Amino acid sequence: MQAGQSVFSDAVTEASSRRGFLARAGKLLLAVGSGGIVAGALRTQAAQAHHFCGHTYTTGSCPHPTGLPRVDRRGFPLRAADGKPVDDLGRPIDKAGRPVDAQGRLLRDPDGNPLPPAPRTRVCQGAAKTYGFRAYLDGSWYRCCGGHVRRLVDCCGYVSTRINGDAALTGYCYHGRHVFCVMYYDSKIKC
Amino acid sequence: MVGTVSAARELGGRKALVAAAAAYAAGLGLGAVLVFGALGAIGVALNPGHVFLVAAAVLAAAAVISDLAGLRVRPQVHLQVPEPWRRSMPLPRALFLYGVLLGTGVSTFVPAAAGWALLPLSVGLASVPAVIMVGLSFAAGRALPVLLLVARGGDEGALAERPEGLRALRVLAAASLALTLVAGTARAATPVASPGGDPSAAGGDVVWQQPGVGGFLLRDGVKTQLPGTDPALGGPYVTWRSGDAVTVADAATLTPSLQVMVPGVEKLAVSDQWLAYRVRLADGSEQLRAFALADPTVTAVVSRAQPAGRLGRPSLTGEVVVYHLASTTRSRLFSFDLSTGKRRLLRSSRRVLLLNPARIGGRLLYVREGRCSQQLRLGPVDANGGGRVLYQLPALAGQDLGHEPGHTTQGEHLPCAHHPKPTSRMLWTTAISGTTAYVTVLRPGSGGQMTPSLLSIAR
Repeated sequence: MQAGQSVFSDAVTEASSRRGFLARAGKLLLAVGSGGIVAGALRTQAAQAHHFCGHTYTTGSCPHPTGLPRVDRRGFPLRAADGKPVDDLGRPIDKAGRPVDAQGRLLRDPDGNPLPPAPRTRVCQGAAKTYGFRAYLDGSWYRCCGGHVRRLVDCCGYVSTRINGDAALTGYCYHGRHVFCVMYYDSKIKC
Repeated sequence: MVGTVSAARELGGRKALVAAAAAYAAGLGLGAVLVFGALGAIGVALNPGHVFLVAAAVLAAAAVISDLAGLRVRPQVHLQVPEPWRRSMPLPRALFLYGVLLGTGVSTFVPAAAGWALLPLSVGLASVPAVIMVGLSFAAGRALPVLLLVARGGDEGALAERPEGLRALRVLAAASLALTLVAGTARAATPVASPGGDPSAAGGDVVWQQPGVGGFLLRDGVKTQLPGTDPALGGPYVTWRSGDAVTVADAATLTPSLQVMVPGVEKLAVSDQWLAYRVRLADGSEQLRAFALADPTVTAVVSRAQPAGRLGRPSLTGEVVVYHLASTTRSRLFSFDLSTGKRRLLRSSRRVLLLNPARIGGRLLYVREGRCSQQLRLGPVDANGGGRVLYQLPALAGQDLGHEPGHTTQGEHLPCAHHPKPTSRMLWTTAISGTTAYVTVLRPGSGGQMTPSLLSIAR
């Protein structure tokens, strides 16, 4: 069985372009429930990945307050280690954007008022503002990472160079746009 | 070293001389960057704090005195660069390596006590870029005398054998170090009160609030408790409140001149004609308002009502109130002219948190909470430039590795060039006088409530 998994995973990873894999995303999700074989395949992909699981190309991370470019469904930054929402200063925050302590309690000034919120910027928009282009989220692809389906998202723009400083790739960007940087969203769907 | 560099002219003419001089200067730069960069990195890693920085500054001051007085430099390094190198390898390579050794500043004879003083100062600065600049300046200081003498066709006896030459060098080193100490951005902060915060200053006086106790006034070194809370100074007045009852008193005698009821009042600011305040409304939101001392019955609205925690406390100079407004989309500093009703945006950012401005003349003191550091800045009121950093604390949050375990670093992008050593202390409210800036530092207390400490920093 192990050998079979390995052959299958090799076949998947070797034959899969990112677009091809997106086309088979439905099959992947169907296969999620059946576990072992797909997990074996995806373990192989993780081993081939670059600086985070599922990212098999070389484009760098989008600038993120805490480093790894983990985002929520709306593209706002989350702390990669625990998925806690953070503001642009990297502080954990509550739903209203106010800073909280490690236990999730609201931080208050000596008068008992909540400490002021800091700006919180969508990660792709933040990159676009910093590097001077208009941000587009055109497409994404999926991998199984840490036992959950991870959506990997290209931050696109009309750019010729990517965050790495070299030529930008097309990736999942359309209408002549290119990938400037990448980020990811960890779903709760087990795989 | 002058002779060794000059020898290149005899061996290969002007081109060889330029190459030799460039190699020597490059070596000096590299040696200095390596050593001083390492010292800066040690400082970043250890984050030695202000006590260490003050001690380093005291040592530096002693070095300045020692160099000015021409005292013997102690300790001394009794080593010299390997002489055979200039015979056993091409001259530019040998000079480059000599430069690397001399650029470290500690591998051969140390000509001035200022050289030793730079080492602890570099650790205390806790900033690799700043300390590398110190190192490059040091390298330039070592390179220039040699290169100038070479260019003038002189010999090193001018420095090594004549007391006047070395004396002049030490005086120059002392002057440079003294200037650095005076003008440098690394400043020592002096504790004023702990717990204590929300300062207000005028002339030589400063007032602050001690949570749960009340307001205090510090005048001529004497601390006096005021008969109320949340005090503020401005013009000839001091103000405080007892619940909703606001008192304006003569600052010199503390004799009340005006008492007004302001339901929900929280924070105060006063000038010679106006009193501005932050008030909590019935729905829990907050608003900034003001009234003229001559007619307290007419209220001027300074800001719209905002959810609690977003509006800073007011700071008032003459007829102009300055304050912050923070939200999750942007952070802004405003001024509001009470005589004209005009509001002006002074600073705005969508990435950092700008807090608690205070104004004096054309200068604005404020807190800038950035991703990689917290800074107390003093800059022009009218320009959106950064201004000078008067005081700095580490960032409020750390960063991860930028890559997941078992993955490479290729493509990672970290927010700060050097891993920040985060602090839970936060720069908060400010005040400014002609000579001194004040800032409250909050540190976590029980149940998420922060405890304040008040610091003063010479402007």
